[in-house]
Amino acid sequence: MHWLSVVAGAAVVATFVRAMFFTPLEAMQGAAQKIFYVHAPAAWVAFMAFGLVAVASALYLWLKDERLDRFAESSAEAGVVFTTVVMITGPIWGRPVWGTWWTWDARLTLTLILWFIYLGYLVLRGVIEDRAMQARFCAVLGILGAMLIPFIHLSVYLFRTLHPRPIVMKPEAPSLPNEMLVTLLLAFGTFTLLYVAFLRARYAIATQRDRLAAEGR
Amino acid sequence: MPQNEGYYYAAYAIVAVTYALYAVSLWRRARALKAREESSR
Repeated sequence: MHWLSVVAGAAVVATFVRAMFFTPLEAMQGAAQKIFYVHAPAAWVAFMAFGLVAVASALYLWLKDERLDRFAESSAEAGVVFTTVVMITGPIWGRPVWGTWWTWDARLTLTLILWFIYLGYLVLRGVIEDRAMQARFCAVLGILGAMLIPFIHLSVYLFRTLHPRPIVMKPEAPSLPNEMLVTLLLAFGTFTLLYVAFLRARYAIATQRDRLAAEGR
Repeated sequence: MPQNEGYYYAAYAIVAVTYALYAVSLWRRARALKAREESSR
């Protein structure tokens, strides 16, 4: 096992322990508020992953370097995993706090659409056999999908929504007590590291797969 | 304070399982490719 995977796994365990046992409960929401420490970082990582898909895809369309396509493919898959976590933890948090598992407001609906777009992206990877055509079509879809991200971030300002506004990623200082903020920042770092570990492993698989295909094996 | 620990435990368990399953899927795919490479030598 690669050292990066070991470090990322240890960091996830440490973050869980800190969030569960060494971070105070929030008075209004109770224990359910702790879902925040896995939900918000997963959303951040998903947006970063899809943003990197768009950058790598645009560069691929320009330079036609297969390494960029493999990077985009790998980042999209990891991004879908993190978006899945967002889509599962959001309703589990929403039920005790909002009184409903789901509401069709702008933030939730746009995130669901983003998830479907990149699930479609992965399906497209599977159904197009011609490697160059697959890379080209997926690059276009990868760029178009990422255009949703700014709208998702701004949706809580632009529309009436149950989803709270950002409490860290905003122009003013974060509105969290220090102990909670430290846990949140640790979680951001940990899940970003986990993304890098996933990306490295997935990129290695794509590289080996393409090498074997090129050798006719 | 509201008593809603069940949601929090469920969320953490599902998150851990989701990431673990993806890590296992990566490991299995890497192992399958390695086996394919060795069998075609």
